[in-house]
Formats: sequence, C-alpha cells, structure tokens
Amino acid sequence: MAAAIDYEAFRAEVRAFAETRCPPEIRAVVATYRKLSRKVWYPWQRILFEHGWGAPGWPKQYGGTGWDLKQRHIFDEVMAECDCPPQYHHGLRHIGPVILEYGSEEQKQRFLPGILSGEDWWCQGYSEPGAGSDLASLRTMARREGDEYVVEGQKTWTSHAHESDWMYTLVRTSKEAKKQQGISLLLIPLNSPGISIRPIRTIDGWHHVNEVFLDNVRVPVANRVGEEGGGWTYGKFLLERERLGGANVAPALRNLERTRELLARELGGERHELKRAMLEERLLLAEAELRGAQALGQEAIAAVMEGRPLGLLPSVLKLGTSVTFQHVAEVALDAVGERLAPRFRPTDAAGPNADAPGIEWVQNYMYSRVRTIYGGSSEVQKNVIAKQLFGS
Amino acid sequence: MPFTATPIVGGDAFDQACRIGQEADRQLALIDDFAGQLACLRRHWDSLAGLGWLAVAVPEEAGGAGGTLSDLAALAGGAGRGGLPLPIASACGVIPHLLADQPELLPGLAEGQHRIAFVPAEAAVDEATDVPRLALDGSLTGAVVGIETPPDPTHLLLVLDGAEPVLLLLPASARGIAARHYLRIDGRLAADWRFTGVAVEPCWILGRGEVVTRRAAEAREIGALLTCVEAVSAAGALLEQTIDYLLNRVQFGVPLASHQALRHRVAEMYVEYENLRGLILQALRAAGAGDGLSWRDIAFAKLRLGEAGRFIAQSAIQCHGGIGMTEALPAIRLARRIMMAEFEFGDRTFHAQRLLNAGRGAA
Repeated sequence: MAAAIDYEAFRAEVRAFAETRCPPEIRAVVATYRKLSRKVWYPWQRILFEHGWGAPGWPKQYGGTGWDLKQRHIFDEVMAECDCPPQYHHGLRHIGPVILEYGSEEQKQRFLPGILSGEDWWCQGYSEPGAGSDLASLRTMARREGDEYVVEGQKTWTSHAHESDWMYTLVRTSKEAKKQQGISLLLIPLNSPGISIRPIRTIDGWHHVNEVFLDNVRVPVANRVGEEGGGWTYGKFLLERERLGGANVAPALRNLERTRELLARELGGERHELKRAMLEERLLLAEAELRGAQALGQEAIAAVMEGRPLGLLPSVLKLGTSVTFQHVAEVALDAVGERLAPRFRPTDAAGPNADAPGIEWVQNYMYSRVRTIYGGSSEVQKNVIAKQLFGS
Repeated sequence: MPFTATPIVGGDAFDQACRIGQEADRQLALIDDFAGQLACLRRHWDSLAGLGWLAVAVPEEAGGAGGTLSDLAALAGGAGRGGLPLPIASACGVIPHLLADQPELLPGLAEGQHRIAFVPAEAAVDEATDVPRLALDGSLTGAVVGIETPPDPTHLLLVLDGAEPVLLLLPASARGIAARHYLRIDGRLAADWRFTGVAVEPCWILGRGEVVTRRAAEAREIGALLTCVEAVSAAGALLEQTIDYLLNRVQFGVPLASHQALRHRVAEMYVEYENLRGLILQALRAAGAGDGLSWRDIAFAKLRLGEAGRFIAQSAIQCHGGIGMTEALPAIRLARRIMMAEFEFGDRTFHAQRLLNAGRGAA
C-alpha cells in the first residue's frame, strides 16, 4: 500500500511554487481581470510543464502527475488563491482525456505532447446555431470520401478558435440512426482549407467566441477519435469528467475578496455609508453561500474518491455557484457603476475609455451573465434536479 | 424514487428522536386547549428524559453519558425531522454547557428532575428599561418576553450582563416572579416573565465575571449550531413532503408535479437546502476537529439559515396553495418551525453583524 499522502504538506509545496514561479505580470492579469489570451497562458503552461506539473489530471505514463483527486483539487484551489491562471482547459481537461481514453496509440503519441507542453492550442467545435442546449441536434455533416471526411457546416460559440491550432469537433456522419448515434468526433486543424473564423461580439466587449464555418473541409479519417458514430459517448465522457468543475469555489472566493477590497477603497466617507453597508451585507450573504458550496465540493470529492455516487451534487454546485458569482459581480458593479458604467465600451475596439481604471468591474459584470447559460443553463440544471427529486 | 433527505448525523438516536417528534406533533395538532397541550408536551418531555436525552451532554462522572456534539446533533436532527415541539437545543446542549461547572446540579439535570428555562443576556424585552438587573441589595428586577421553556419549568437560568456578568439559577416559584405561559406558532412553549424585587439568595448565583461571559458565548454557539441542525433536518423533511404533495395533488386533470414552474421552485428549494446542509456539516466538522467551536462557521450557517430556511418554508407554503395557509398538514407545521428557528440564538442580522465587525477589525 502506498504511504498516506500529507495533503497539507502538498498544499504548502504548491503554494510555494505558485508564489515563486508564476511571473508577477501573469498574476497581475488574473488579479485585474484582464483577458487571458494564449500569449499569457502559454508561458505559464510552459513553466508548469517543465516542473512536471503540466497535466495534473493525466496518468504519469503520458506526462501527468499521478495526483489523486484531492491533490488536484488542492492544486486548483491554491492556483486561484495565488492569482495564477487556471490552466487552459480545452486540451488538458477536455480533449486530452478523451484521447487518453478512446484514442489510438498513434493519436496519443501525436497529440498529447503538444497539449502537455502548451505548443498546441485547442478549441471545442460542439455548439451550432441550431444546437445549443440540445446538442444532439447538430447538423454539421461529414461525408466519407476514401481516407478522408469532407466536412460541411457551421459551429458557433467557439471560444478561442481565433487563437487555436486545432478544433475537436462533433460532426454528423449518419442521418439514419437516432440523433445521438450518428455523431462522430473529428480532430480538425484550423489551418485546413475551407475554414473561416468570424468573431462574435459579446456584451462584455471582449472577443472570446467565434463562428467557425466549415466549407468542404477535408479531414483524414486518421483524425477521427474512436469509432464512427461513437462521438456522443466521447462527448458525454468529457462532460462526466467535468462534472466536478463546480467543486472548486476558490476562484469565486478570491473574486469575493477582491470585491471586498474594492468596497473599502471605493466607498469611504459618509456619502457612501448606506451603500457600503448594503453592499457589504450582500457580499457576506454571497460568502456564506460560497462557503456552503465549498463544503459540498469537499463532499463531492470525498464521494468520488470513495467510489460513492455523486448524485445531484454537480448540478447543485453549478446552479448555486453560478448565481452567487453573478451576485458578487453585481455588488462590484453597484460599487463603481455610477462612475464607470457610463464609460463602458460597447465593443473591444479600443475607445477612449478602454483603459479607464476600474472599467474591468463593469466588464466582469457583463461577462458574469454567461455563467448561468453555459455548461448547462440554470433552467437545464433545474430540470435535471427536478427529474431526480420527483422520481420522473 | 422521489427524494429522501440524508441525516446530518444518522443512527438510532436520530430515528428515536424523529419517531417521538412525529408522535408529539401529531398529538399536539389535535388538542385545542392550553392545559391539554401542556399535558401532551409534558408527557413527551418526561419520556425523552426517561430515555436519557438530557444526560447526553452531561459528563459521565456527573451521572451523564459524556456524549459529544455529534451525539447532540443526532438528537436535534431527528427532533427537527419529526417536528418535535420541545426545546432540544436548549435542554440537551445549552443548559448542560452552562452548568458544566456545577457538579451538584448535574445529576438532577441528567435525571430530568430540573426543568430549566434559559434566559440569555440578549433575551428580548418590550421596553429597554425592562432588562433584568440585580440591584445592590441583591434583588432582581426586570422583564423578558418570548422565552422558550420546557413544560412546567422548575427553574430559570439567567445570564445577566453588567459590570460583572452573573449566572443566576432562580427557582420558578420564588416570590416576586410572575409568568405568562403560552404556545408559540411552532407549537413550542414560551413564557413572558416579570421579576419584581426578587430576593436573590447567594446560593442561586452560580458564577460571576469573565467565566460566565465565556460560557454564555460558547453556549450560544452550541445552541445556534444545534438549531441549525434541527432546522435543516426539518427542511429536508419539508422538501420530501412538498414533493409528495405535488406528486399526488391533481388539478386540471394532471398532478401539480407536471408543471415546470413548480418543479423549478422545488429545485431551487433543494439547492438552498443542500447549500445550508454543506455549511452546517462544515461547522460540525470544524467543531469535531478538536479546536473547539468555530464561531465563524456557525455564524455563516445561522446567517444562511435565515435566508435559505425562510425561502424553503415560504416556497413550501406557496407550493401547497390554499392548504399551505392552514395548520392541517405536518409540512406546514415544519415550515413554521423553520421560520421560528431564525430567531433563536441570534437572528441573521446578529450573525451578519459579528462577521462584519470581525472583518472590519481585520482590515
């Protein structure tokens, strides 16, 4: 039997690493809510990779750390507490594990090293204009021609497509079967002829997401993960692995701490007395909820480690924490709104106020609205919870 | 299978407390007159005293069971689920803790001979001038209202603030004490007491000074935590009963449970319930870790109980419709209990205030 892990010693080791090895300019980006782009992310991934911590969730054999779930959770927590960027997830947490589970040996050798080192950047081609929450309705077609698929269709909400090298893509390879069964998973280089990427302007003024058009894009059959028609299973595997995402409340708590500092800074003096008291109370209520979620997150991790079912915990965490995060963002908006909301830029085009000090709080508020929409909207989560609670 | 709540601390004690609670709630609901209600509650009080509940937190050397906070949580949780209208947090947790330095009183407490009502220093008063005070001649004057009591209290245990805090155990029959006894909306006994020049005998004063302040503060944490355990357990049962009602109540030819508006409301209740449960688990874990009670964890839990508890209770009433406005269903009695729990051992603003004070002190 392996020796018991000293989690507190592990926590201290991760903290020391984060504090000494994560460059201050990278931490400043996180602390001031500036955009995390590949330019910021890559050097951090490189540092982690060189330390042997490039892929906390992967098996050792493929360059992972071999940490258990609790260690991984501690790692994520400490990263947030120290303002280190969360690791870029599309490669490490999404497609990487799918390739590890279902990919061929050749695919593992070919794709995993670039994900681990951060050389290759991935994005997710799932949603389509007609397939949002109802993903299985996707219509992007892949027609087999010899050793290639010819892909025709459109993806949307594609985060980071404009700075990615690859898109792991769910496509329809058959219209015959039930809609979940005719779906396959292809790995498509974004420099393939026939791909065009158009930015989508979102209400927060940043460029995160894109439309990706695929016009007769030829993809080698060797780039298909697993079986033809098995894509839905692989996609679900990915979502299952991500179900514990809500267990990490540390970023939300860190955000709350920064917001508390903002109130102290912004709302001094008699003029703001009532506002400050009201906003402090709202923050306190949010903190109580986050601490409750944190305790549930620990319970979820313990459940997984002991092989117990997670039940509704992932949905409860997603639903609850997303709303609480929005409440905190609203408190910050209310603290600076009078002064800064009028100056918020409508798009990411550099306007006269693009760099107004504190403008990030307005941006942050606008961006926070997405939390109850993506990753299974609040309404979908409530349907899931109710179905379980009512027994049907 | 519809939802079944998981106890915070399960086991035989939990099941027993739940059974007694359900029985007491059912019987009490059928009685209209105060004398009958009092007799019913007294009967159940005597039976739980006989089962040793009051001895759980009393040390073994004083004739008790030397139980832990977790043992108390099992009782409080079961009582909450069953809707037991007796002051479990106070009788089993708070008072034994306040009397922990009184070896001569503990055996009687453990055996159920003393039925003590606890009057904290922050007890509610109608007029600020009513706050009970010991005069220089040793007489007690003042009045407190809405004090939860066991049936037929034999004693009052008061914490008096002042230059030198005092812990005082008054015989309920002492001259100069006037009481009005009544039943609260959650079926529990309460009293308003007026003290008019009560001549306090020296042996009634159990402690003075800093030790009283400390014990009283710890006792309040215990009371708040056990109240949280009781209320969240009641909330779990309330969720089950609300789901059951919606599955069985047919309107417009379909069960109410088929309507998304109601399903989503129940999902929201569940999220609040789970979040509250998480906080309470955390507070209990912290207490069990050996560093004593974590006032901060308890304050957050009690603060959330105010928010989440009321949301759950109100939602349950709303989901039940008209019948939710009556006393006919156990579910609605649980809802009223959860709403009352907010005001015991510090309401939400009390706990918010101390968290804010600590935060400002640190900043």
